[in-house]
Amino acid sequence: MTIHLFNGLVYGALLIIMCSGLALIYGLRRVVNFAHGSLYMLGAYLGYSIAMQTNFWVALVAAPAVMAVFGVLLDRYGFRLLQDRDPLTVVLVTFGLLLIIEDLVQTVWGKSNLSVPAPALLSASVDLLGTPVPAYRIAVIAVGALVALGLSLWLRYSKVGLFVRAASTDPTTTAMQGVNTDALSASVVGLGTALAGLAGVVAAPFLSLSPAMSSDVIIDSFVVVVVGGLGSLAGAFVAAMVLGMVQALGAVYLPDVAVLLPFVLMVAILIWKPAGFAGSRT
Amino acid sequence: MSIQRVAGSAAVALVVGAGVFAWVSSGTLLSLLTQAIIYAVFALGVGVLLRQNGMVSFGHALFFGCAGYAVGLLLQAQWSAELAMLATLAGMAVVAFVMGLVIVRVPGVAFGMLTLAIGQMFFLTASRSRGLTGGADGMNIDWPSTLFGVSQSVLLKPANLFLLCWCTLVGVMVLLGLLLNSRFGRITEAVRDNEERARFIGIRTLLPRAAVYALSAVITGLAGLLSALNTGFVSPENLHWSLSGVALMMVVVGGYKALWGPALGAVVYFMAKDFLGDYATHWMAIFGVALITVIVFSPTGLAGLLERVVKGKAAVRVHKAHGH
Repeated sequence: MTIHLFNGLVYGALLIIMCSGLALIYGLRRVVNFAHGSLYMLGAYLGYSIAMQTNFWVALVAAPAVMAVFGVLLDRYGFRLLQDRDPLTVVLVTFGLLLIIEDLVQTVWGKSNLSVPAPALLSASVDLLGTPVPAYRIAVIAVGALVALGLSLWLRYSKVGLFVRAASTDPTTTAMQGVNTDALSASVVGLGTALAGLAGVVAAPFLSLSPAMSSDVIIDSFVVVVVGGLGSLAGAFVAAMVLGMVQALGAVYLPDVAVLLPFVLMVAILIWKPAGFAGSRT
Repeated sequence: MSIQRVAGSAAVALVVGAGVFAWVSSGTLLSLLTQAIIYAVFALGVGVLLRQNGMVSFGHALFFGCAGYAVGLLLQAQWSAELAMLATLAGMAVVAFVMGLVIVRVPGVAFGMLTLAIGQMFFLTASRSRGLTGGADGMNIDWPSTLFGVSQSVLLKPANLFLLCWCTLVGVMVLLGLLLNSRFGRITEAVRDNEERARFIGIRTLLPRAAVYALSAVITGLAGLLSALNTGFVSPENLHWSLSGVALMMVVVGGYKALWGPALGAVVYFMAKDFLGDYATHWMAIFGVALITVIVFSPTGLAGLLERVVKGKAAVRVHKAHGH
């Protein structure tokens, strides 16, 4: 039982890192980024290459940094130019981007499964309430918690965080108050993309790298952001943990219907409360 | 579009189909064309939802795959093939209408994500219930030896199958052209453009929207039946969301504003994939770039582009005729 709850926490933490990026980008740009899973995959593969050349710790910093630059460019030359277009148009553009990144990854790294060893420092097992668990997975939970805490504090107490919250509510008025919303959006999309990359690097040592990894995670991430309320960070954190638990416990106790549970949850929430748990924003 | 124009276009289309039937003897080309036409019907289904309802579905493979599974299972239960096909389409219409009553209330992008989730539920169910559907391996569809009075060996000849699919496509387009030209078409357009205003002038908006959803499901199901006939096989791949994505791409690249745009998109997709040959391993990147390019530079798609070119030329001709 402990181990299943623990694995639920690990997957929930990974989803938190993924979905905070998705929710941030939606909040500021009103874009549902279909390519977010592909960005996660790209981050994981970049991390793999960097880790093979140097070591895991360099990859942990460098891959998200590269992804951040990519995200800033994506906002500057993608989302900003399309901000007056129909939201569905932009969704389709991100779908096109998804196809391009999938192809890029398959071309550069091939279709076979790759794996990244956990760093030596974290390769041991730790005893948790009588059950041995890999230290690396505890570190994953810690990273998820740090991301959640860091983002919450940043949005709540920093000046830029205040601007982000203001621009998420009403970009036009925020811009009239003298906030450079274009630069703000670029940094937030950069941050969101970097978080997708971070999730990829963090996932690499315990999930194998394959071209299918993006579609598995993007659908779970959509479930999380929809259940949590599009654009709501707190909602996404709670929903990510709930989904992680549902997946881990369901796989053990209800193996036949476990894979369907997240979707049932999502369909029920969307029909009952189209704006999600935490969603009061439209 | 007047009735005369619909009839005229249909006549031209049937002549073109007969021409291909008579003159193209290459089996590979015919089967490629057949596949393109089947997906053209699929794309028409996705397109009509976008055109008449303004809704983007990321889960239409649901109806494409389920049609194949339904007819396969009914045949296993010893139904006659004709009845099985009719029952599949009728059942799909009813189920989609009831589903539509619930899900078309969800607005915008959330609708797309909802359809994605429902589609993925069916994909996972079909991949996992090995006993019923053969799981991830898929299942064979045992067509009887004669279908609608034609023996299977005659029907499945590449040229005949092509003609059948082509006539189905033309038939669907004629029916859609007539239907969307009627009061139903105008009501759905009014609801799409401004639901609240449509309600003010006394239109009940939910029923027409659910009806469009059902219509789009039935057309997609018809494509699924043709595909089941063409390949004699159905697998969870037919339900996967990437297939819905590809169909959506055909609709957008072809142009959803024109009725024939999605069909054009499907044909262009398959021709381009074949033309690319060795580069086809990179089809995802190539079509990704094409998709973004079309959305950004020609939101009305290839159909819109063609219409502009034709109209532009006509305008130039008129201009010259007036001696300026």
